[in-house]
Amino acid sequence: MSKVKGLFKARWASSLIFLILLFLITGIADPAFLNYSNIISCFNAATMYTLLAVGIAFVIMTGEIDVSIGSTLCITAAMTGLIAQQGGSVALMLVVCLATGATVGLVNGVGVAYFGVPSLIFTLGTNSVVRGLVYILTGGRTVENFGGAIASYGNKTLFAEITVYYAIAVALVAISHVVLTRTRKGKYFIAVGDNAGGARLVGISVLGTKILAYVLCGLFAGLGGFVFASKYGQVMTVAGTGYEMTAIAACVLGGISLSGGLGNMIGAAIGAVIMSSISRLLVFIGLPSTYDNTITGVMLIVIVVVDALAQHRSVEMSRRKRLLSRTAENAPEGGGKA
Amino acid sequence: MAANTNTQASVPRLQVRDIRKAFGQNVVLRGIDLSVSAGEVVALIGGNGAGKSTLMKIIMGIYSCDSGEILIDGAPARLGKPAAALAAGIYLVPQEPLLFPNMTVLENILMGFAGNEAELKKRVAQHMKELGVDLNLQRKANTLSIAEQQLVELLRGLMRDARILILDEPTSALTFGEVQALFRVMRDLKSKGISMIYITHRLNEVFEIATSVAIMRDGLITLEGPVESFTKEMLIQGLLPKDAQAQKQGEQAYEPVRYEALKPVLEVRSFSGYGFTDVSFDLYPGEILGIAGVVGAGRTELISTIFGRDKTLSGKVLLDGKDITGMSTKQILKEGINFVPEDRHAHGLFKIRSISSNTTSALLSGGEIGKVNMNRRRQREISKKYVDDFRTKIVSLEDLIGSLSGGNQQKVVIARSLSTKPKVVILDEPTRGIDAAARSDVYGIIRQLKEAGVAVLMVSSDIEEVVELADRAITVFQGRINGEFSRGEITQDVLTSASFGIAQERTV
Amino acid sequence: MKTLLKKVFKRWEVFLLVFLVLEFVVFGAANPKFLRPNSIMNSIVNYISVCIISLFVTLVMITGGIDIQAPSIIGLTSIIIGVLWSDAGLNIWLAVVIAVAVAALCGALSGFFIAYCGVQPMVVTLGGSFLYSGLALLVSSMSATPAYQGISGFPAKTEAGQYVGFRFLGKGTILGIPTQIVIYAALILLCVWILHRTKYGERLYLIGVNQQAAEYSGINTRAVIMSTYVLSAVSAALAGMLLTANVNSAKYNLGSGYTLAIITAVVLGGTLNTGGKGSILGTVLASLIICILRYGLPLCFNVSTQNLDLPVGIILVLVVLGREIAGQNMLSRFFRRRRKQS
Repeated sequence: MSKVKGLFKARWASSLIFLILLFLITGIADPAFLNYSNIISCFNAATMYTLLAVGIAFVIMTGEIDVSIGSTLCITAAMTGLIAQQGGSVALMLVVCLATGATVGLVNGVGVAYFGVPSLIFTLGTNSVVRGLVYILTGGRTVENFGGAIASYGNKTLFAEITVYYAIAVALVAISHVVLTRTRKGKYFIAVGDNAGGARLVGISVLGTKILAYVLCGLFAGLGGFVFASKYGQVMTVAGTGYEMTAIAACVLGGISLSGGLGNMIGAAIGAVIMSSISRLLVFIGLPSTYDNTITGVMLIVIVVVDALAQHRSVEMSRRKRLLSRTAENAPEGGGKA
Repeated sequence: MAANTNTQASVPRLQVRDIRKAFGQNVVLRGIDLSVSAGEVVALIGGNGAGKSTLMKIIMGIYSCDSGEILIDGAPARLGKPAAALAAGIYLVPQEPLLFPNMTVLENILMGFAGNEAELKKRVAQHMKELGVDLNLQRKANTLSIAEQQLVELLRGLMRDARILILDEPTSALTFGEVQALFRVMRDLKSKGISMIYITHRLNEVFEIATSVAIMRDGLITLEGPVESFTKEMLIQGLLPKDAQAQKQGEQAYEPVRYEALKPVLEVRSFSGYGFTDVSFDLYPGEILGIAGVVGAGRTELISTIFGRDKTLSGKVLLDGKDITGMSTKQILKEGINFVPEDRHAHGLFKIRSISSNTTSALLSGGEIGKVNMNRRRQREISKKYVDDFRTKIVSLEDLIGSLSGGNQQKVVIARSLSTKPKVVILDEPTRGIDAAARSDVYGIIRQLKEAGVAVLMVSSDIEEVVELADRAITVFQGRINGEFSRGEITQDVLTSASFGIAQERTV
Repeated sequence: MKTLLKKVFKRWEVFLLVFLVLEFVVFGAANPKFLRPNSIMNSIVNYISVCIISLFVTLVMITGGIDIQAPSIIGLTSIIIGVLWSDAGLNIWLAVVIAVAVAALCGALSGFFIAYCGVQPMVVTLGGSFLYSGLALLVSSMSATPAYQGISGFPAKTEAGQYVGFRFLGKGTILGIPTQIVIYAALILLCVWILHRTKYGERLYLIGVNQQAAEYSGINTRAVIMSTYVLSAVSAALAGMLLTANVNSAKYNLGSGYTLAIITAVVLGGTLNTGGKGSILGTVLASLIICILRYGLPLCFNVSTQNLDLPVGIILVLVVLGREIAGQNMLSRFFRRRRKQS
């Protein structure tokens, strides 16, 4: 019973309910929407954002931010494309993507955690640097016309219309979730974001945890780049621009607090589905896709404002309750405990 | 562990030798030697700013020391980081518990543990039973009271099989009953051979719980030995600076306030808010009214609600007969009340702004330092005046206030509270965390205010301070006024008893 | 340690100035064409949106906030001006006034949520950037002109090739200096006055250093914080107007992609992102440094114009790292730690 209650109190659960509501509303507007394929395609389409959101969630949970994932995705996608053009193997592509992502993450982590540069600023810098490297790598040209195995993977389904990539993404979400909630070290990410001083006191390395979070974020972005190349078959030099903002928005929608220490991976994954589904759903509702950003913006603002107000209220309520209980202890005639 | 204790009975479990530490120019520790044996409770006492917390943080590996060494069971230990200290069996229960607010009690206790959760949970339950505490393990930490948070911290330490437990002023936020419960736990731990360093500033507690005592003053240990060999008076002597006696002698004659000729400037009537209930008192011009009580009694809540920082539930506050209940802080400042907050760092200082910016920040609302444009010259003049008046030690008015010592920072904050020429000044713990010399300067300033006819409302946990300064005193106990004392009635005993809710015959 | 930190910060603007001068020396030596005043001024005109908005985002960041929605307001004002003028047939100046008012409302809305509801500025303005760019697209769909094309034909160019009226803002010159630069200069002076001379500016700093302490000093911190977002939105509206007048095209997506450039300029200028420290001069110098870099590298060193992110990014990373290392004496700490371990 208490578990059920706990489930509904969980922040990611409200995002899930929100997603279901979105589907239902769309279904009311156009009953044709409510079938298995349409709904599954919403999830399939969210693959890339899911990877990015889960990666950045590690960083956000520790109380930092990473705005370099858009260009990390771009450079790894471009590398994948170039390797494909040369006829390289998929394994090589994956290794290169992951290594590149991890390197960018490591640089970010060291800059932020070791040198203490504010994370927004430092990752802004690496964002530009990596984007610049994309131009050098590609000579400023779109990487395209690469065939081979990778292009055919793009929309391959595993079973029941679920693409291989989305299945992998879901598996990674599940693994991340279990690591984060069940393992000793996994809990460190949230602990560091919740109270860095307290974390240090119980022997957690704040430095190491943050660096690890950035490396993981980079790995996920690298994987996202691989998926990008495979799905679209062409990589422009501006690919991935603004993806970092979408990923951050997905985390926020999924109930992850940007001040750290709150939220989980399932929320981030659901948030990613919400973010990528909006434009799809609009088509069924009968609104032109021009409403996409407006609705995303309204949704984001309403959710964070309501959430912030509710949070402040609950903190304030518990503070007041505590203060009131202090005075309630001694009624005037009671004379106190002593 | 027991075997360990027996074989090395002669070697102290923890020994620190000649520890020195400075933060920039500010020398905090000047060579500390201290040792703790198994089953010993060392009470470490000292005024604010004596360096106790710094020493503990060094032992815990949070700070590194500039020189000196730490020995555990006689062997030099490398405690470069908290993880190493934890591994060595040291656990610090900090003054303000550092819990993870968004996690449950259980998650907080088990953070950093590996292994079977069910088994760990059993151990937690076992420890809780031993301690005789009852906490819902599924509650979020941000809903716990300070006492409950401290229990969680203690449980954390016990779960780690800590052999050396450091308690940094654990009782400062606890009620009387909670303090007794804590002592029960500590006696139990003591009997199990756990060593404890117990930091406090309450002398009575020393005799109740400690086996030995060490007094720290200005970064040095000035007095040390088994608790039996001391009396309370001896401890007080040890706490006072060497020239304190002389200072006391030189104190000017006390001038009584002639209340019959005065009308109250501030009238508080059946005032209730969050943390206090049905409070009524008057404050007269030219008097110092002390508010005593233990931390958490509701004093800070009372005065900050008067200052418009929190919601009033019922009752009235009149300033010169004008109802100011429920006004915003900005309006109340304008009406003529100003405030020196208890937590200087959180509510008082603009650390990376200049001294003159800090002095005049409350004047931004009026026309005193310009209408639209800043009148920098006027700003400097005003700041200069207060720096001279208060003998604040500065190099330049443009220096950042963060570069000053605690006492000088406090003088600037007090200067700010006077800059608006208030009728009423509310001081919350005006000498917290400042050294002895600055303290006597601050006392001088407060007396000057009184002579100038300003009404001073002073909250202080330092009962000696109330005894020394106040014309009248009220005590607050669990959110209510439970005693009012005139100058002649104010003694340390009376105020202390009333603060702890113990009735006295002399109480009004 | 502390004194070193102070010295570095005190000299930050000096450092930027030296850097800017060096740019002129190096680029000028590499290619004398670089030093043509008209080209230099043109490079600033091309970057004017970032230059102008970063001035006001400095104010936001000094209070400890951040504004990533301003670029979306560039597009919004541009398209509002276009639609009101071309499709609704309003007078161009009336259209401008309405557009600026709408922008101010947008800023006020985000500012309200940040200041009064306590939502993190980053999140609100992220939502704002989606919302306002979305609204811009919606407004543009009301026009007879297709969204991708942009509304053009703004008044006016005389037979003699002189720009008058609205387009004077974009292409005209005053005493040989482009109007845009004159406006930029005026806005710099305005911001210097606001931040460094007025009591309002002093409040901004105090709030950024310690909002609680500012409250205890009787400052209405919420109203002040909200006002900074209004100011930055209005500056984005001005930038949108100038950009529209310059390119003679009202488009919903003008200015998109400036987000990170604006933050870079402010941060490189020495403003602490935690608030409480920073200066207009620093932001101006940093904007110009980036601007000149973007102009000089392609001209003098044949760097492709596409590939300007890399040098800007490298400079940003090196500068913030250098500042941090100098500030914390990180290197000596590092070596001390190494020695201990060995």
